[in-house]
Amino acid sequence: MFRRLLLPIIFLTLGYGFWLSEEFKTIAAGVAVFLFGMISLEEGFKTFTGGTLEKILRKSTSNTPKSMLFGVVTTSIMQSSSLVSVITISFLSAGLLELTSAIGIIFGANLGTTTGAWLVAGFGLKVNLSAYAMPMLVFGVILMFQQARHLKGSGYVLAGLGFLFLGIHYMKEGFDTFGQGINLAEYAMTGYGGVFAFAGIGILATVVMQSSHATLVLTLTALAAQQISYENALAIAIGSNIGTTITAIIGALGSGVNGRRLAVAHLVFNLSTGLIAILGIFQLIIVVSWISSRLGITADNYTLQLAVFHSLFNIIGIIVMLPLMGLLVKLLEKLMPIEEPEIERPMYLNESLEEVPDAATEAVRNETIRLYDIAVDVITNGLSIQREVFQSGKKARYVIRKSKEVIDNDIEDLYERKIKALYGAIVEFIIHTRGGYAKGALKEELNALRGAGQHVVEAVKGVKHLRKNLLRALKSDNVYLIKEYNKLRFLIVRVLREIEASRGTPEGDTQVIPLQLDPLKLEIEEKINTISSGLDRSIRKNLVNVRSATSLMNDISYCKDTCWDLIEAGLVLFSSSDRVDQNAEQSVALDEHEIAAIIETPHGEPQP
Amino acid sequence: MSVKSLLEKLNILLSEEHREQLAKYKSLKKVLRALRREKAALKESLATTEDEAARKDIESRLKIVSAQRKKGLNVLKKLKSERNNKP
Repeated sequence: MFRRLLLPIIFLTLGYGFWLSEEFKTIAAGVAVFLFGMISLEEGFKTFTGGTLEKILRKSTSNTPKSMLFGVVTTSIMQSSSLVSVITISFLSAGLLELTSAIGIIFGANLGTTTGAWLVAGFGLKVNLSAYAMPMLVFGVILMFQQARHLKGSGYVLAGLGFLFLGIHYMKEGFDTFGQGINLAEYAMTGYGGVFAFAGIGILATVVMQSSHATLVLTLTALAAQQISYENALAIAIGSNIGTTITAIIGALGSGVNGRRLAVAHLVFNLSTGLIAILGIFQLIIVVSWISSRLGITADNYTLQLAVFHSLFNIIGIIVMLPLMGLLVKLLEKLMPIEEPEIERPMYLNESLEEVPDAATEAVRNETIRLYDIAVDVITNGLSIQREVFQSGKKARYVIRKSKEVIDNDIEDLYERKIKALYGAIVEFIIHTRGGYAKGALKEELNALRGAGQHVVEAVKGVKHLRKNLLRALKSDNVYLIKEYNKLRFLIVRVLREIEASRGTPEGDTQVIPLQLDPLKLEIEEKINTISSGLDRSIRKNLVNVRSATSLMNDISYCKDTCWDLIEAGLVLFSSSDRVDQNAEQSVALDEHEIAAIIETPHGEPQP
Repeated sequence: MSVKSLLEKLNILLSEEHREQLAKYKSLKKVLRALRREKAALKESLATTEDEAARKDIESRLKIVSAQRKKGLNVLKKLKSERNNKP
């Protein structure tokens, strides 16, 4: 409710402000232009990521001092600690950084923001920045229209800086005119009450503008125009330092546990620093005056004194927090543990079996059969078939007819967590078993089971590829495409059904399993040929465009491979339990070329 | 036959490799017998079936069984020659 009302409230307040005061409009426009400059700058730096930036990052963050220095330098160049913290979160989430290095960068970034204060206080408020902003904007925009990535990026950076300068200029002008009418300094508050109140304003302003830099510039310009008292300006600077963590927190919301850990570390650091600065503000003012006099800053130059103050309390924060960094990391790791993804673990394999080759082989067989069963679940799901419909035992045609709804699930995740993880465990077990104990026939059998597992994995991968276009077709209103993709779904379900039926065949039956599946192989080849040959006709008749047709062509191939992979896996997993019989059956079973040769034989009298 | 060659033959007979080969041979013969029976049954049903679709289906299966038998016989021939070529 509040969220929905927030934007209209902000609009109304700003509108009322614009109507009330011309100066307020100039200041607000200055803030808007400044923020736009930040966005443009961020966009510019983003174009340089994806190689060079990553390399620099890896080399420059190998230890804490290096990380801190990196934070200081990058924030000084980019003039945005928020941008640095968000990039750090993304690198941390990608595993390119350790949490300790990332915290080091954040500490450094806090110190880096003070360079902004120095630049604005010492240079920005005395020089006519708009004079520099105009050419920057012109050159920046020209570069932004270039095709080359680095030129485009440079254009964004240049235009961003131009907008930053222009924004500062407007804010300065607004406050100057404002100062001639009303004196905000009359609302100044003294004592700790004032410090807390203005620190709160600093937090709020930074959260709203998403930039501590903008708040700091606004404060400096207001201070230069003597619109706020020096003491209150210091409190705003402290508040902005706390408020800046909001960008990292927002950035961490969409990232993993490590990103959230870093955001909390950022908040802890800035809160502690802020608290130290607030509690010791009056003592710090004395220290700032002493340092300023040493640096040759006059007693009435409050803007530069604010920059000194900003640097001082950030340095104190680092000195206090640096020894506690190890403890902070440990605490964060304990309080925010990384959730292990729920991966499929083996049910039949255990280390004790590795010493008993026969039992180990049997366990591998059972585990691979389990892998097959899980894969069937993933495959049917990937084909957008409800589990209940598939398990109803009804014919493949009925299953497809009943599966018109699109099932949205993350097949990539299922593949990684269930199929790949379990197959990995099986392979690992086989390697240990075979290496140590299994020899001769058992080794052969284990190899065959490993191969069967690989076929299962390949079958799931085939469906994974097929799924993208399948879902697109099911969601489309192209009846032809839906029909063709349903034919592919039908074929895979048909294979799964046949294999399922073979599993129940009693031993000693004259219809041995590998040979029983040969008619199915023939059926697949014939149907795939029919679908493929019908495709050209459909393009000619404009039933499907060439792009969709080429996708279908690829998917026909994926479907065929999936069917064959399932059959190959089924042959090993569900054929006769006697290894010698199994080998004999498999040596007679027909392969893809032999099936193709049968199709090419004209109908009539079979071979003798 | 010399004692040496007799011992060699006995050695082959008792070897694990020989036993495995024999088992393979027997198993393959069993499969081929089953296929022969199936082929005969299919031929019989083809002769009595008049429905066109059913005939087509039987013909396809007959082609498969024939191809399987042909492949099996080749494997059997290879196994035989391997056995005969053993020293």
